[in-house]
Amino acid sequence: MGRRISVFTTIAITVLFVGLSGCGYNELQGLDEDTKAAWSEVVNQYQRRADLIPNLVATVKGYAAHEKDTLEWVVQARAQATGIQVTPETLKDPAAFEQFQKAQAGLTSALGRLIAIAENYPNLKADQNFRDLQSQLEGTENRIAVARKRYIEKVAEYNKGVRYFPTNLTAKFLLHMEEKPNFTVADEKAVAKPPEVKFN
Amino acid sequence: MSRVWREPARLMVFLGVMFAAASAWPLDVPPLTGRVVDLAHILPPDVATSLTHDLEAHETKTSNQVSVLILPSLEGEPLESFSHRVGTTWKLGHKGTDNGVLLLIALRERKVRIEVGYGLEGTLTDLRSAHIIRQEIVPRFRSGDLPGGIAAGVQAILDTIEGTYKAEEVLPGHDRSGQEPTAFEYVIIGIVVGTLAGIVLSHGLQRTRALIGSLLAFLVAQFASVGLGLAAAGITAFLLWLMLQANRSGGRRGGRGDGIVIGPGEGFGGSFGGGGFSGGGGSFGGGGASGGW
Repeated sequence: MGRRISVFTTIAITVLFVGLSGCGYNELQGLDEDTKAAWSEVVNQYQRRADLIPNLVATVKGYAAHEKDTLEWVVQARAQATGIQVTPETLKDPAAFEQFQKAQAGLTSALGRLIAIAENYPNLKADQNFRDLQSQLEGTENRIAVARKRYIEKVAEYNKGVRYFPTNLTAKFLLHMEEKPNFTVADEKAVAKPPEVKFN
Repeated sequence: MSRVWREPARLMVFLGVMFAAASAWPLDVPPLTGRVVDLAHILPPDVATSLTHDLEAHETKTSNQVSVLILPSLEGEPLESFSHRVGTTWKLGHKGTDNGVLLLIALRERKVRIEVGYGLEGTLTDLRSAHIIRQEIVPRFRSGDLPGGIAAGVQAILDTIEGTYKAEEVLPGHDRSGQEPTAFEYVIIGIVVGTLAGIVLSHGLQRTRALIGSLLAFLVAQFASVGLGLAAAGITAFLLWLMLQANRSGGRRGGRGDGIVIGPGEGFGGSFGGGGFSGGGGSFGGGGASGGW
């Protein structure tokens, strides 16, 4: 009899362990880490862009000092974007996330305007320094796009894990994980319009 | 044993991805047929051959994988997203060092892009890429010398990334995936560890032996997958149960199971077949520069 119990218990415990791993504990933790890593990359690239701006503004000023409105808009948008600190923790907060997204999109449109007015200044356009900065800015914008795309994919995976059965039970009761907010194209478009305000 | 079912599984995933890619985007990533893929047929054969030769020699020396793709048209797809997709699909560069570069030329749009893998972003910066496009490629393209522009661009790229990596550091890891334990090895390790631990930990407590053994086997093999963990646990439990039986019948410590030896299977960790050119698993983060002529 004892022998029998041992075989049965073996099976029972094995099944229990399979059940535990099937509940996705490790998987969810892994997905959570992946989203954090993808997020760091997004923040990195945005930071890289912010770092380029002072030089860019200074260069444009040299040729187009009277485009004060646009220049100040860029400076202000940069200050706003860099003023927001988003850590992995605030990532869980949709409001904070949206604020970050809005500030960055604001900077994107301000920069777009700055590059657009540069078209009117042939000397500026021909300036080696300006061209270099522009190449770097383009490169950074492209990396931002790639980093955002990756983040969107990772969060989608993570959110699936949090919502699908049975991993949603683990997420909810064991890990207390919630869905993470994601970038949306609609937000980006809505805030990418230049604001009506004028700086003096 | 694991290979047999893993390869078809991989193929299915691959086909699934390809299908998804084909349906979601207007322009397909062309197959990687060589280091120089000239779909617009603008390179004279001798130029293509010498470029391929240079790129191959460069990879042998530095492990960097550089490829050229010339397209008749982008079919309306944005240059940057397409270029990133090609780099990612071809997996230029090696896993871990991500040292791949793609030079993409779209004829009808008159656009050119250098897409730089993660691992080369430090040397072949966006700025350096932009300079190569502006100073080496575009002037020649403008004067109608497409092959010359491409050759000069490739040469400048190779010169720039020359010293970043050395082949010895990277190429042994070429089939790095083969050096990690395969699923089958995980099962074997799981069974061995589980059996030994089962015996040691529950010395004398015969009933628990099989339990502890199979649990540990399961946990070890779990690193590979749930199914394999289950298999390892089952086999371990069975082995230990056999031993238990033997102990019962044959006094204190009878026939130790030689049953642990399971067919060694075929060799693990094959590398790429020789001959053709294939990406080494590098990834791209959007680095590089674009230009037009």
